Amino acid sequence: MSTHNTTNESGEMYSASETIIELRNTEVVFDMSRGVSRVLDNVDLDIRRGEILGVVGESGSGKSMLASAMLDAVVDPGILSGQITYYPDDGDPVNVLGLSDEELRRLRWEDISMVFQGAMSSFNPTMSVKGHFVETLEAHEYDREEGMERAHELLSDLYLDPERVLESYPHELSGGMRQRALIALSVVLEPDLLVMDEPTAALDLLMQRSILSLLEGLKEKYDLTMVFITHDLPLVAELANRMAVMYAFELVEKGSTDEILQNAAHPYTRALLNSTPNLDAPLSEMTSIEGSAPDPVNVPEGCSYHPRCPLADEQCVAEAPDFHDVSSSHQVECFHWEDAAEAIPFNIEQPSSPEEGEAR
Amino acid sequence: MNWYVKRTGQALFTLWAVASLAFFLTRQMPGDQVATYVDQVIQNNPEQDPEIVRSNIVEQLMIDPNAPFHEAYIAYFGELLSGNLGWSIEAQKNLNTLMAETVPWTLFVMALATFGLFGISLALGAIMAYKEGSLFDLSNTLLGMVTTSIPYYVAGILLIIYIGYPEGVFTQYFPVRYKLPDGVDPGFTLAFISGAIRHATLPALSYVITAYGLLALSMRGNSIQVLGEDYVRVAQLRGLPDRRIALRYVGRNAVLPLYTSLLLSIGFMLGASVILEQIFVYQGVGYWMDRAVQYTDIPLMMAIFLMITVSVVIATYIADLTYGYLDPRIKSGDEGEAY
Repeated sequence: MSTHNTTNESGEMYSASETIIELRNTEVVFDMSRGVSRVLDNVDLDIRRGEILGVVGESGSGKSMLASAMLDAVVDPGILSGQITYYPDDGDPVNVLGLSDEELRRLRWEDISMVFQGAMSSFNPTMSVKGHFVETLEAHEYDREEGMERAHELLSDLYLDPERVLESYPHELSGGMRQRALIALSVVLEPDLLVMDEPTAALDLLMQRSILSLLEGLKEKYDLTMVFITHDLPLVAELANRMAVMYAFELVEKGSTDEILQNAAHPYTRALLNSTPNLDAPLSEMTSIEGSAPDPVNVPEGCSYHPRCPLADEQCVAEAPDFHDVSSSHQVECFHWEDAAEAIPFNIEQPSSPEEGEAR
Repeated sequence: MNWYVKRTGQALFTLWAVASLAFFLTRQMPGDQVATYVDQVIQNNPEQDPEIVRSNIVEQLMIDPNAPFHEAYIAYFGELLSGNLGWSIEAQKNLNTLMAETVPWTLFVMALATFGLFGISLALGAIMAYKEGSLFDLSNTLLGMVTTSIPYYVAGILLIIYIGYPEGVFTQYFPVRYKLPDGVDPGFTLAFISGAIRHATLPALSYVITAYGLLALSMRGNSIQVLGEDYVRVAQLRGLPDRRIALRYVGRNAVLPLYTSLLLSIGFMLGASVILEQIFVYQGVGYWMDRAVQYTDIPLMMAIFLMITVSVVIATYIADLTYGYLDPRIKSGDEGEAY
């Protein structure tokens, strides 16, 4: 905390200016009548300034919890613990979990902002879109005129007609327009980090594509760092520089997008890639992952993936694996990462670059 | 077609239909008030000719109870159109005068009851939702269920017994009978205004107490639902002040479904006034309605029916016009209709 030089996940030294937010031993637990539900388990993650990090995982793997944790916004009875450090552009590192209510209120949206899963329900139905922008600017004591000018610019950057959209009520906009208006609302206070939780989930494929390209433009223009959380692996592969794969409430593999796509080292990641629907692959070669995702109250001992993993042995049942370095930019939480490629071959040739095929 | 023209046409049609139905039904009532009245006059002045007495009174009444239905109907509605409600034997007054004297009082009690009821229920209902599961929430839910099960007239009598009857602190502030203190004349004086409010308090209160539970619990349910909406969570993360979230986000959206019930409650309250004004000897519309039924005073009954219908029709008209402003998803005016 006190030093700008911290140890990153793989043990290398990074200067703090490269890291924008750092999560250590981050956990979220819910006390339930049938036991403690651990919906985010011991997550270590560094997000680097200016990158787009894609977080993928199946439904109920803890992705949304990870997103909420970065803003210390875990919903009520959930308890968030661990160490989350935010490194502002200028100034001292901020211990997110140690902030007062007022400091946290300012951190959210001004420094770290979020786009929610349901754009459809993220707007107050009885208030115009403009009202949402104005009240946000006022709550953070930003200059209203300057802020609204920025809102206009953001909306036109997102290919919306600012006048029309601002005067509209949420129900008068289409799903894609509402999603883009929500993105503009998230960025209106000029945050450094934008966390997006399934921002394209309810949209059709064309709209998903166009939002992706708009996001890239937005990132360049406003110098944003983005965390893009989704279950849609091909979609994020197109956008992200780096990817993190979640399984059973923890991160199992992280690395650059190329490395993950071509040389995934975790059996789960490989199975996930194999189960991705692809028009080029014959139907007979489509595979699903056997078994089902574990219950958060009762996660298997040892490696949480062992009941479904073809490579599992006594060691996997007995102890939980640590991260192993595949390369300096690629870590995996698996004892048998060297054998994974052989044991679970990809069912189609992986494309050499994500732009070219896999995602199309 | 212009929406306002169409909507006004609808309102007038409703008025006509209710008036016709009421006219038809009151004609079926047993008893002949005119005959009773003529007998009384003849008893006091035996030298008068019953036929002349009868025709005099019928002329004032506008309708002859013995005339065929269609003739009476045409005569009565013709007079109505020229703005004449007729004469009441029971009140010994012109009905236009009587209505002008009574309708404002009843509306006053109703307004007091409605504003009190909605103010208290909505605020407490929303607080219960915010403190869901707390002692306040549980005890208030229980209280709401108990008070909802009490009929308003029982509440009225209980109020008289426990607040009005003991010669205590409250009696002098909240009298249990009449519209005004003795010797106070209508006018813009403090004595008149405070007197009117004090006399209307107990009747209004008996309605508020018994309707409170249902409304507060609906508001509580709606608010809990709205509190779970994504937009409330997003608003909290956007750092909006709690007060704004409570009023502009939770309150505003939770109140929408209750708006219609606000206007519909006007009809119910007018019905309730028949018994309530009897209990509190409050000479408003309900008080005269009771006497009209007892003595088969058809013109009086008809006049009150018309007043009630007009009030309800106006209330729905206002609801139609304003709902679109309250909820932008509902279109008002030219674009559509909300009921």
